[in-house]
Amino acid sequence: MKKRILSALLALCLFLPLLTACGGGKGDDVHVFYYTYSDTYISSVRTALDAKLAEAGLTYHDYDGNGNQTTQTEQVRTAITQGARALLVNIVNTGSDDAANEIVGLARDAGIPLIFFNREVSDTVIGSYENCAYVGTRAEEAGLLQGEMIGEYLLEHYAETDRNGDGKISYILFKGEEGNNEAIYRTQYSVEGANELLERANKPALVFYDRANTNGYLVDRNGQWSAAAANEYMTTVLTSYNAAGNNMVELVICNNDSMAEGAISALNSAGFNTGGSSPAIPVFGVDASDAAKSLIRDKKMAGTVQQDAAGMAVALAHLATNAIAEDRGLMDGTEGFTVDESVRKIRIAYGKYLG
Amino acid sequence: MKLKIVQKFKQMPPNERRIYLRELLINNSLYIFLVAAIVLIQCMNPRFLSGPSIINIISLSAANLPIALGIAGAIILTGTDLSAGRIVGLVACVSAALLQMTGYAGKMFPNLQTLPIPVVFLLVIAIGALVGFINGYCTATFHLHPFIVTLSTQLIVYGALLLLLMTGNNNGQSISGLDPSYTNFIKGSVISLGSTPIPNYVWYVLVITAIMWVVWNKTAFGKNMFAIGSNSEAANVSGVNVKRCIILVFVLAGVLYGVTGFIEAARIGSNSASTGLNYELDAIAACVIGGVSFVGGTGKISGVILGVVLLRLIFVGLTFLGIDANMQYIIKGLIILIACAIDMRKYLVRR
Repeated sequence: MKKRILSALLALCLFLPLLTACGGGKGDDVHVFYYTYSDTYISSVRTALDAKLAEAGLTYHDYDGNGNQTTQTEQVRTAITQGARALLVNIVNTGSDDAANEIVGLARDAGIPLIFFNREVSDTVIGSYENCAYVGTRAEEAGLLQGEMIGEYLLEHYAETDRNGDGKISYILFKGEEGNNEAIYRTQYSVEGANELLERANKPALVFYDRANTNGYLVDRNGQWSAAAANEYMTTVLTSYNAAGNNMVELVICNNDSMAEGAISALNSAGFNTGGSSPAIPVFGVDASDAAKSLIRDKKMAGTVQQDAAGMAVALAHLATNAIAEDRGLMDGTEGFTVDESVRKIRIAYGKYLG
Repeated sequence: MKLKIVQKFKQMPPNERRIYLRELLINNSLYIFLVAAIVLIQCMNPRFLSGPSIINIISLSAANLPIALGIAGAIILTGTDLSAGRIVGLVACVSAALLQMTGYAGKMFPNLQTLPIPVVFLLVIAIGALVGFINGYCTATFHLHPFIVTLSTQLIVYGALLLLLMTGNNNGQSISGLDPSYTNFIKGSVISLGSTPIPNYVWYVLVITAIMWVVWNKTAFGKNMFAIGSNSEAANVSGVNVKRCIILVFVLAGVLYGVTGFIEAARIGSNSASTGLNYELDAIAACVIGGVSFVGGTGKISGVILGVVLLRLIFVGLTFLGIDANMQYIIKGLIILIACAIDMRKYLVRR
């Protein structure tokens, strides 16, 4: 008897949230599919977008794709059968067009407007359905801006950055994930961008700290862009490349701010970057997370590239409102945004953040 | 003792001698591999065995040891624990959230004073123990395989972690800006070897490992754990309280995950939803490499230490040699496979 009451109670507990969720009786207007909730930047987009959609008087439902394309595609299918009126998709797979094409097919068959965001899909995908658009950054821009920032920093602080005075800057680079376009572009363009400025000033190009490593980067083996991966690499590297050996790593470039934080934590243990007047190795990241801003303020980090989460949310809410209003085209009133010439892609600008 | 073995060896007929030597070689192949790998890496990069590098290997191993010791208990019971990594992640984020410095710009709970370290430590240990209790209780009471139970709790814990990251004014950001008293307590150093400081957490892990050795080898609970792992029916018949013992093993594991998370938060300094991801797989790999068999009922603390150190050696060694991450997967996979094959061979020979 006792057990039966217990299980009934348990069942009730499980269903309660469902009952309250269905309180409205009618499905939500906008369905938003995030590639994963565990991404710190995407989380800030989610908070900003939730607020903007509510402000626009739209009801919405958020999904966590948990880094799995199959999960996300199934979520989209389910949302369509529920009667979604607009789909906002932060797609998981960016390596090829297949996943995006499948989702476009689902939306086209149901006649629902579809807006991709943050993780870029190709122009042909956007062009294949008239009610389809993209909101995001230019993937190469983050790396280029980071490189420019590094180059400018070095030209200003060359002598003090070149700790062993050999005339060259040795750097280490932490890549977030293998096979991800953002990570590939950031890894490539940050170094290229910096080298371009150095070359113009007749300085030698950056040198990867370890000549044996022909990749020119160390990658998070779990593909998580994580602080832990950068931290463990950095502590290991610092045991053989340090001030005592006169071969200290002189510059740290990170694909994102989490990795920068991990690297700084390792540098702290070695007596560097503890703030104030302590010796500091310049560390650069991307995202401008709250933690990174705070590190830059304390002089523990050199700079980061700002991704405008709020700006992204404004553009997305605008398109979602257009999608649901029956008398408006998807791209109506987007003159205020930066839109690509030949394709329905709204670009959110990156910015340098130096504190 | 040694001499006796030598005498015995001399008395053997030649063909038996050959078999004996071969078995000796195979059974100790992991140690042989370890030594060979160290020699090889050292030859290619002489800084590998420098003081700072050795201390780095020890501290990386120490950070990964408690979770492996916890999971080892579950494996001895012929089970496993998939929730370990996420528990580490949750505990790390809770520790970080409660021990952020006052006045930090992105502080999760701006009005919260920095709590005393022991209070937070006990709290996160309790969180680990609670999840461990749920794992153990469901395994023991409903006779579910721990794989299923811990798969469920892994998801539940991850959900809780995501909810936690959105609370306060944290907004899904990583939790950083830890109070210096906390980072010093974990990462600071009281004793240095030469000019290289040894982080404090190495000593904490040393104490914990010693305690675990006593628990496994000198207590009735430890003996019962091995008995249940070998044959739970027989253990039951001979008067062991099987249910209580299983629950205790998982609670103890949860406590050890709590310790791991508490150290991890300060060690890395930045904690997010990816903290702890896949840690259980590394820990399970370390256990099986070290001879904690999935057959159940066997395993030694020294084996777990060997497994953890070996995995860290691969990581450090390949980073030193500048070999890319792809090879690390292959080498790690081969080592696990070979180690387990050798391990199984011992049982087949015995039977």
